[in-house]
Amino acid sequence: MDASILSQILIATLILIATGLLLSIILVLAEKKILNYGTCLISVNSGEKDLQVEGGSSLLSTLADNGIYIPSACGGRGSCAYCKVKVITGAGPISPVEEPYLSEEEKKEGIRLSCQVKVRDDLAIEIPDELFKIKKFKGLVEHKKDLTHDIVELRINLKEPKQIDFKAGQYVQLQSEPYKGRDSVMRAYSVSSPPSDKNNIELNIRLVPDGICTTWVFEHLEEGQEVSFSGPYGDFYLRDTDAPVIFMAGGSGMAPIHSILHYMVENNIEREATYFFGARSQKDLFYTKELQKMDRENDWFTFIPALSAEPEDSDWEGARGLVTDVLEKKFDSCSKHEAYLCGSPGMVNACENSLKDLGVYHENIFYDEFA
Amino acid sequence: MKKSPEESSLEERLKPSIFSGSGFLGNDERPIDEIVADDLKELERHNIDKDKLAQLLKKAFDKVENGLGQEVQLSENLSGQFYEAKGRIPSPFRGDGVFEKGEARILHEPSGEEIIITALSLHLIAEHSFFQGKGSRYRLEPAKTYRLLKELE
Repeated sequence: MDASILSQILIATLILIATGLLLSIILVLAEKKILNYGTCLISVNSGEKDLQVEGGSSLLSTLADNGIYIPSACGGRGSCAYCKVKVITGAGPISPVEEPYLSEEEKKEGIRLSCQVKVRDDLAIEIPDELFKIKKFKGLVEHKKDLTHDIVELRINLKEPKQIDFKAGQYVQLQSEPYKGRDSVMRAYSVSSPPSDKNNIELNIRLVPDGICTTWVFEHLEEGQEVSFSGPYGDFYLRDTDAPVIFMAGGSGMAPIHSILHYMVENNIEREATYFFGARSQKDLFYTKELQKMDRENDWFTFIPALSAEPEDSDWEGARGLVTDVLEKKFDSCSKHEAYLCGSPGMVNACENSLKDLGVYHENIFYDEFA
Repeated sequence: MKKSPEESSLEERLKPSIFSGSGFLGNDERPIDEIVADDLKELERHNIDKDKLAQLLKKAFDKVENGLGQEVQLSENLSGQFYEAKGRIPSPFRGDGVFEKGEARILHEPSGEEIIITALSLHLIAEHSFFQGKGSRYRLEPAKTYRLLKELE
């Protein structure tokens, strides 16, 4: 090929690349200048808090930049649907990403995925007051202790900030660190320690096969290591009434109820309380001696661990069978009770059905469903 | 053939991610279309109706989930147990929603063969005919699964 033709092709290619680069730069600058949304006002809860923010980012990240942490598990990718907030004005149309995660009722109410709402204009939003109290924390793992063959207790000593205020029964989102090619993730765990222990939190974490965060906790996290979490979250806490209480849990569902019971003892809340804890066999039980001691020392409290698959010839003298069956043997009627349930959706559904059969009103049943 | 942006995006979501530590493809290097097509062919070859298989899986899952962690005898040869897990996992297919974690492990007692069913795998099979890639912890081999579950019919 002629050298002059080659040089012409080379020059043409260079011009093409240069034009492409120039166009890209113009586009980036244009986005910054033309799509500059300027300062926007986010009015939270009818002016309870007004935020002056730079427009252009998602509502989720903008709120986080201003110290309001909406729960999110996917980091704003629009796939976990945890970050729902009510947007009264200024959100624009619902995006195709949000559409499948919103019910018709939610759409009418203005519920949106905050990760998918871009702050382009002034916004008015409503969020639960509890979210104002959510902070990010750093702490050191004081101990990681085996509770059963697949549940560990993690005790975290808070370093920054040094104290946490939460209601017994609430949860935090623990952040795992990257390992073996797996990204950092946030996962929810209920606090098992009482709110009076403000400088520490304890979590009960059950190993999930293939679970990213639980595998990190079990195989990689060490005592003395720094960890991050945010919280407190959730509306699972003891209601301020005099009603007798039924607690029902299984596995790591123990955590929030353990916290509530200690809160009751420490604050002399002497409401009649019966705790049914379901497990397969004795090797799945934990905190048993401690709760039996609490039972002996407090007339108002009864602890009933129930084993569903304990060998018949074992030394177990406690209740046998499913927690639901044990509940139905213990009570004839529970129409005045409140019930607090923590476990898998299947366990919660079964317990709810039994409780309703015993006369517990739907509005008096509170869940910390794992989902 | 060139992939559409949605196909490329789906392939990314099928890989290990912040939701699924091992992803949905296992060590299977086939594209998802090929995995689905091969599994449907296998069902056809064994004269198995996919919807019927999906119903059997759902029946087994529901019974085991209702056992609240206790071992459940599903039939003469099949037993199962539910293992709870906290949280939800989104479908890799955008817009499908999120599914409760937790798995039903079904054991065929005479042979010792086991299958694992989750709420998400039920959905992936029913809606997308996706049994997951070979090597995935949650793959359900179509013919084997039917062979094990057919006594629940």
